[in-house]
Amino acid sequence: MDFGKILLVLKREYLTRVRTKSFILSTLLTPLAFIVFMAIIVIVTISDSEVTKTVGIVDNTDVLFERLHAIDSVRYKNVTQFEIDSVKSSVLNGEIDGYIILNDEFINQTESPTLVYGGSGGISFIESVEDHLREVVREEQLARSNVSAEVREIFESRPQLKSLKLTEEGEEEDNAIFGAAFGFILGLLIFIGVFGYGALLMRSVIEEKTNRIVEVIASSVKPIELMFGKLFGILSVALTQFGVWILSYVGLSIVAAPVAGIILEAQMKNLPPEAAEAAAANPAFDPSSLEQFIVDPSIFVYFFIFFFVGFLIYSGIFAAIGAAVDSEQDTQQFMIPVMIPIFIGYFLNLRVMENPDSTVAVIASLFPLTAPINMISRIAATEVPFWQISLSLLLMIGTFAGLMWVAAKIYRVGILMYGKKPSYKELAKWIRQG
Amino acid sequence: MVIINVENVTKAFGKNTAVNDVSFEVEQGRIFGLLGPNGAGKTTTIRMINNILAPDTGSITINGQEASPLTQKMIGYMPEERGLYKKMKVGEQLLYLTQLKGVDTKTAKKSIDFWLDRFEAMDWKKKEVGELSKGMSQKIQFIATIAHDPDIYIFDEPFSGLDPINSETLKEVIIGLKNDGKTILFSTHRMEQVEQMCDDICLFNKGKAVLQGNLRKLKASFGENTINLEFEGDGSFLDVLKDVRINNRSTNFAEIRVLNGQSMQDILKLAMESAEIHKFERVEPSLNEIFISTVGEDNIKSEEV
Repeated sequence: MDFGKILLVLKREYLTRVRTKSFILSTLLTPLAFIVFMAIIVIVTISDSEVTKTVGIVDNTDVLFERLHAIDSVRYKNVTQFEIDSVKSSVLNGEIDGYIILNDEFINQTESPTLVYGGSGGISFIESVEDHLREVVREEQLARSNVSAEVREIFESRPQLKSLKLTEEGEEEDNAIFGAAFGFILGLLIFIGVFGYGALLMRSVIEEKTNRIVEVIASSVKPIELMFGKLFGILSVALTQFGVWILSYVGLSIVAAPVAGIILEAQMKNLPPEAAEAAAANPAFDPSSLEQFIVDPSIFVYFFIFFFVGFLIYSGIFAAIGAAVDSEQDTQQFMIPVMIPIFIGYFLNLRVMENPDSTVAVIASLFPLTAPINMISRIAATEVPFWQISLSLLLMIGTFAGLMWVAAKIYRVGILMYGKKPSYKELAKWIRQG
Repeated sequence: MVIINVENVTKAFGKNTAVNDVSFEVEQGRIFGLLGPNGAGKTTTIRMINNILAPDTGSITINGQEASPLTQKMIGYMPEERGLYKKMKVGEQLLYLTQLKGVDTKTAKKSIDFWLDRFEAMDWKKKEVGELSKGMSQKIQFIATIAHDPDIYIFDEPFSGLDPINSETLKEVIIGLKNDGKTILFSTHRMEQVEQMCDDICLFNKGKAVLQGNLRKLKASFGENTINLEFEGDGSFLDVLKDVRINNRSTNFAEIRVLNGQSMQDILKLAMESAEIHKFERVEPSLNEIFISTVGEDNIKSEEV
């Protein structure tokens, strides 16, 4: 094989792809979309905590307001002494954001109270008012029914689960849920990468056939050189895109928490002191929670290894299909056997995420056709024994070698064949011929 | 000097033997025509010479070297199925194809500029091939074939799909290349083009080389056994002629191959009785006739001729 020629083919394939508008847009817009997404989450949570809404309470029960005031002294104002019309006008003036009339029927739960508000309500605001009301009503009911202190405690207790991960170094905090979700996304990315870029390679091969340029090229390079050049060219395009995405992810995850902290601080300064105090005492958003997005970089190394080998396994077949047909419409019959394992990997990925140590997950992460997708999910979600990772890679490399051998033979014959779409029997003949 | 040597080459695809024990030699500095109907094995032979396919048995040498990536560089090949990347700029595309032939970037650029200039196509350099007209892209295709300055040029059915003007241009270019001392091998199923251009020929039929040699000598060896007849009037007398083969017949012209010693004078007499004769000429047979008489009428499907 002439590596200089492979490099020439690779360069052409790479440069023509990365110069397209669609590539540039999808590569740059995805991190941008990620920033916007994160910013929206942060802004929503911050703005929730920043705006302290006040609710006037017309308390006809004489007991509920006190309890509400105890929960949130800033939000709830006693307006029982005012006429209802003046309460309404202060809502319209914006002095208070809304009011609620509380009657005894509410405590008996024969009637629901109504929150009347001006301006915008906001789901989280309404939900938190609802929560508070439920709490005070339950407390009042408990008080009235004379239940024992024990029962009260039961109602007041809020059991929470704290999880720690045991490693050689001892117990440490670990975000298993985030890890699993992150693994799922990486698996998904490999699925999209293998399938999307595999299909791009296939179209590229078909394009050379329909353009009728392939024989001109075949008079200069060996089919196997052409195939490898195209294959690694497309792979380089994919790696460029994923590289940009992952670098921007890593960068963003590192700066997200400090930046959010700065923004939050700036917001605080603009608030009236008592509201700021309340927000600080009961923060709806903690910027340091963004730190969980920072992941161990070794996962990305695994990501690139598994994508690389996974792409090589499938891409040869995609190239062979492209060579066997004259147009994209004819590919369907041959695509089905390729799509079955890759989609099985995709569907299993959810199972792997939920239960990364199950037998199904272990098998899926070792079977070479699903391993590229499922192994990376497992690695992100759990502690995978090193022998499993190695075995999985070995099996994948073996599969790659076998499939590439078959694919190269089909490719070699196929690129010079025009006319009728070949049957599987004919493809077998091509393989024997090659 | 022999520059392309094809020796006892056989190539089969499954049960179909596309090329069957073919041998021929191409001399340096000459125009060599591979003739024969579609499916006779011409393209397969050409692909083997270009090292795109490998022969099952037999050997092919170019300039004394076995066909290999090295010999590919000596050849400029324009296949019958030809085309270019539609979305690639002319200049980049030519550079890519020339570099693939092993030419370094600087030399390639110089040569491409030279040819673009000569074909008055310099303005197209930055254009995508998809924007060019058919005639323009044919010129670019031709430059792509020759920009690495090979000694041997192989064109598979070069005239198919060309309009008459481009056909004429190509003919001139081929003859120009010959005058520069280059060797040209081309295939065609249209005999009249060969008669005008080729020095040597090799006739293919059903995978075999059935006749080969110097075109003039071959024709002379058949003798003046053919009549070109121009007439006016009722041509039905042609139907009653025995022991002849009429190849090229129209309302007032017929090319009559005389078989089995049939007397030409008798044909003239019969013709004079039925029509007015404008021309009666004894000539060497046309290549078409040579082909038919070599392979036998029964061996040719009529639509292939």
